[in-house]
Amino acid sequence: MSIFPAIGISGTGVTVHRKWLDAISDNLANINDVRPTSGEAYRAKQVIAQAVDYGDGNGGVQVGGIVEGNAEGRLVYAPDNVMADAEGYVRYPDIDLADQMGQLLMAQRGYASNLAVIDRAKDSYQQAIQLGKG
Amino acid sequence: MFDTVTSTVVKTALDGLAMRQRVTADNVANVNTPQFLAGRVQFEDALRQAVESGQGFDGETRAQISRVALSDEASQPSLSRSLEPTRTDGNNVNLDHEVISNIDTQLRYQLMIRAMDDQYGGIRAVISGGA
Repeated sequence: MSIFPAIGISGTGVTVHRKWLDAISDNLANINDVRPTSGEAYRAKQVIAQAVDYGDGNGGVQVGGIVEGNAEGRLVYAPDNVMADAEGYVRYPDIDLADQMGQLLMAQRGYASNLAVIDRAKDSYQQAIQLGKG
Repeated sequence: MFDTVTSTVVKTALDGLAMRQRVTADNVANVNTPQFLAGRVQFEDALRQAVESGQGFDGETRAQISRVALSDEASQPSLSRSLEPTRTDGNNVNLDHEVISNIDTQLRYQLMIRAMDDQYGGIRAVISGGA
């Protein structure tokens, strides 16, 4: 850990929430992807956060893994689509917009909270650096 | 002469507060981590007991007794996990609590820095003959 541990720890929090935001924006960008029924649908990505060195409380957080949604997606009847199969079906990804928007809020708030902690830690460390100059 | 009870107490308090600041940062970083239980730092009670153990003695002796009590393993800041009810994902970090604790710890830390600084300021004034 760095010489200013609180900043380093919150930094890991910022990174994880940033990656979560990236995953959500990727999911939202692909929410209307159309695939033929012969292929896989776009799989939604879900970031799983994991604590680092859980025991001593000065580890921070990391991305433990990415869980991908189902490849089956949902079948939509769209006979006019160029990718439609013989029965007129295409595959859409199985992504719930409301769920993604909820996650977006959580990720955004988490990101902002970590930045606020960095800001407060910075003030304290700055005073500590000034110690003895008075 | 620089090892007064005050300087020892201030130093110990700074250590404890720095640890609490670190643990709060860890809690906020893990606000969305499944199965994460918020960490809590205790050091005030041990510090008070250590200072009280030197009561009834004067000056150097008192400082020495307090210092010995503080160097004891039991007086070190300790980390425990919060037992508050968890959310459905097994996490019990309460962001409001963490933000308040973070601000509170920051102010206390700055207060302790100030106290330490003033102590040194007094010594400096004596060394420079008040000039």
